[in-house]
Amino acid sequence: MATFPTLTYEGLRVGEQFVSDEHLVTPEDIEAYAFAVDDHHPWFFEDSPFGGPIAHPTLLGNQALFMRHTRYVVRGGLHARMEFQFLEPIRPGLRVRSRGTVVDKYERRGKPYMVTEFTTEAEDGTVLVRGRFVQMLFRD
Amino acid sequence: MPTTTADTVTAGQTLPALVKEVTQRKIDTYSGVRPRSIHTDEAWAKARGFRAPLAQAMMSTAYVSEMMTRLLGAGFVKGGAISLAFIKPVYAGDRLTVHGIVTDKRAEDGVTRVVVEVWCENQDGDKTALGTASGVLTAPSGSP
Repeated sequence: MATFPTLTYEGLRVGEQFVSDEHLVTPEDIEAYAFAVDDHHPWFFEDSPFGGPIAHPTLLGNQALFMRHTRYVVRGGLHARMEFQFLEPIRPGLRVRSRGTVVDKYERRGKPYMVTEFTTEAEDGTVLVRGRFVQMLFRD
Repeated sequence: MPTTTADTVTAGQTLPALVKEVTQRKIDTYSGVRPRSIHTDEAWAKARGFRAPLAQAMMSTAYVSEMMTRLLGAGFVKGGAISLAFIKPVYAGDRLTVHGIVTDKRAEDGVTRVVVEVWCENQDGDKTALGTASGVLTAPSGSP
């Protein structure tokens, strides 16, 4: 059974790897995301140049961001930077999973930061999105 | 659908701005409502020193993605990139305006990549996020 210690800067190890749970991308996911970001492009609901509907390219950002929650209780923090590369369209019906590695941690102006690189892949191994994010951790 | 071509996009071109009303309900949908969340638990956010719940910073990447998809269509969905620094919080109730200016158009592996400087401003004119986004030009139909 997994245990979930609270994530701390001191306990975080560079090189640590995270894997999200698998998620089935559904039309409802896409509809909810469209509402949340107020973007109702027809490609998300009808046909697209890729054949059939696609999802917002940023749809799975939270799957990557929440990878660390599969191992830790995370008391929160602030997102400092986000980088995405969109390699293939995300389509409803795909089963997707994100994998990431902590590539750096540092303190700046007394605040602790962690840097994570990630990929989000379909179940056949196709890389859909690649990226990197920097998060400031709350100390308490 | 976008009909941007190498002839119609030019460095220095200002993209049509996007305006986004960042409501608590949209934040709730984006982040999922949880206790002890600075995004969806007002009391918790205030206890952390914020005047109101914060939008997840990553919502701004979605706004930039919308701007770039309008410009480049399929060439952003497949081949696009965003690099964004979040420099000020976005609060529930804020109105964000997303701006973009084309800064470069360059050959890359047989395609043309368009680079855009992007930033978001709140209703007070404060920049909340800034960075770059890019994508590739495709056929005028937007086909990949």
